[in-house]
Amino acid sequence: MRSLVIASDYRVPDPTRVPQLLESRKPALADIGAHHVIVHASTIDHGRVLVSIAVRNRQPIVDLLRSRVFFEWFDAVGVEDIPAVFAGELVDRIDLTDAADSWPPGVIVAAMTSVPDVSSVIEHVHLALDRFRAAGIRKTWIFQAFDDPREVMILQEIGDENSARRWIEDPDSAAEWMENAGMGAYPPLFVGKFLHMMRIDETD
Amino acid sequence: MYVCLCKGVTSQTVSEVVAQGASTTKKVAKACGAGSDCGRCRRTVRAIIEAALMAPETR
Repeated sequence: MRSLVIASDYRVPDPTRVPQLLESRKPALADIGAHHVIVHASTIDHGRVLVSIAVRNRQPIVDLLRSRVFFEWFDAVGVEDIPAVFAGELVDRIDLTDAADSWPPGVIVAAMTSVPDVSSVIEHVHLALDRFRAAGIRKTWIFQAFDDPREVMILQEIGDENSARRWIEDPDSAAEWMENAGMGAYPPLFVGKFLHMMRIDETD
Repeated sequence: MYVCLCKGVTSQTVSEVVAQGASTTKKVAKACGAGSDCGRCRRTVRAIIEAALMAPETR
């Protein structure tokens, strides 16, 4: 059984409908082994959402993505042009928070992009943790794609909007992945906030 | 990134066929299958073609 994350970034007519639509699709999502779905909504680009689905599944990834669940989902949320989909696994998670500074939820800055070498990105991030903390970075999740070992999805939780803006305008040199976001199949940097999380039990 | 869910074609594959000369969505579909079924990924395929055209090494 393999654990993976399937994520995509797209525009929907009404982000507030997404949680309800997800709830109505629980059985179909359970069928493909989904156990959590997290939705972030953009704070600077109205209508844009980042939907991440955590899945445990034995099927080849291509068969999983080809299943009707995804096409029906895009139809339900009103997405005509199907966006590129990231499929990969978590390779590093860094938590720089103390109990006192983890609330309220921060701003999420997400990038899907290609880097020369994922292991050196991880190494550079670990060497820059003090600077990350000083810039207001609370958490960093690094996912590596299955289909391309140089492809990553990197999510960072940042304390507040101002720190997020400063980080995007002038990121640390260790955050090399932010430079190439938005090229080709990759969406531009996503800046948003947590909107909804749905847990799916096997019995759903 | 998986670009074409119908055929399971990745952005890496689309970029390769674009680099080999596929300069339209039709040519990409013929070369690797991306966009040849439901066609709902053609916008992403176009974005990959445009990015390749803008890349310095292809100028």
